[in-house]
Amino acid sequence: MKITILNGDMNQKENDFSVFIEKLAGKLQVNNTVTVYPLHEMNLHYCTGCWSCWWKTPGRCAIEDDAGKVLTSVINADFIIFASPLMAGFTSSALKKMTDRFVGLLHPYIKMKNGECHHLKRYDKYPDFGLILKKEPDTDAEDIEIISDIYDRLAINFHSNKKYIKFTDTTKIEEIVYETCNN
Amino acid sequence: MKLAIINGSPRGKKSNSKILTDHFLKGYNSLCPDIVSVNYLVNSKLQEESKNVFRDAETVIIIFPLYTDCMPGIVKEFFEHISECEISRSKKMGFIVQSGFPEAIHSIYVERYLEKFTKRLKCHYLGTIIKGGVEGIQIMPPSMTKKLFGKFEALGKYFAKTSTFSAEIKESLRKPLKMSPLNAFLFDAISKTGLTNFYWNKNLKENRAYHKRFDKPYCVKTSS
Repeated sequence: MKITILNGDMNQKENDFSVFIEKLAGKLQVNNTVTVYPLHEMNLHYCTGCWSCWWKTPGRCAIEDDAGKVLTSVINADFIIFASPLMAGFTSSALKKMTDRFVGLLHPYIKMKNGECHHLKRYDKYPDFGLILKKEPDTDAEDIEIISDIYDRLAINFHSNKKYIKFTDTTKIEEIVYETCNN
Repeated sequence: MKLAIINGSPRGKKSNSKILTDHFLKGYNSLCPDIVSVNYLVNSKLQEESKNVFRDAETVIIIFPLYTDCMPGIVKEFFEHISECEISRSKKMGFIVQSGFPEAIHSIYVERYLEKFTKRLKCHYLGTIIKGGVEGIQIMPPSMTKKLFGKFEALGKYFAKTSTFSAEIKESLRKPLKMSPLNAFLFDAISKTGLTNFYWNKNLKENRAYHKRFDKPYCVKTSS
């Protein structure tokens, strides 16, 4: 299977988080095609809300940076891993910056889904995803519930499913490999 | 009260967030002559200024559009910066989250984050105003926006008097939380006529892109 890992670690040289993700990628690569994107090291810009991807060049972002290759990898993957140390109680701005660019993967048209308005699919299929996070010293159960719920909402809009949420301090890499490959 | 407003829209001064802010301030300044600092996070220089403005203000309102079910990345970056600053514990923080979806339900999840984030900073949480159905207000005729803008003016007036958001206006703005089954049925029926796509189709046609509206540019074709 094709697995895309979006690593939102913003302090990769002094952080064991990226080491954890590298080890995970290594294990996953045994039986899968894995692509890891170190988002903070890439040329990525913030979504400007210009809507070019919805009404000028449908589906294609107008910003010429590295997002195009990430979006291509994401939409053609079988599974995505959103990976990030928590910062200010949520996933990093590097990861959020990239996730914001997903908007062009959807269609601007709205349809009713479970009694709510959601964007229509642009592509035939969207990959399920998992979350791998590193806690902050003050992360508590409420933070985790908030993050989990927000990513569940993202899953609804992304026509996808959140399969797991794992923490680097309490989860073994083998467990993540198993759950990623058997989702 | 030293009030500062921070606009976290990636569209900056062309944003719907600015329009709502302007109406809030129209009401606010009708009762309070204080100059309110309005800062934009849209570029890094302004982010730097916004950090100083945030640090110095007694009360801060942060307004932004909902982006992929949460705050835009640019706002998250700002939150990361201010969470590292030394902040006066007496600071009050309120938020305004606007979105294109007609229902408030899409924004109530980030609202929980905003409350927790304010607590994390040990600031006083003033609440979050949620307003859906905002995309398109720049092209709507005044008759369609009069009520919305009137509510934001009233919100600003109330804020000038009390330094809080009016609970009544807050509840009114977030309606509907979800569409009623009847409205959902009607919306679904109308959407089949294409009427609900009017705004998007108009822009697609103006950009000569209507025929490409279902393109899948990032799809990799696999050889069979």
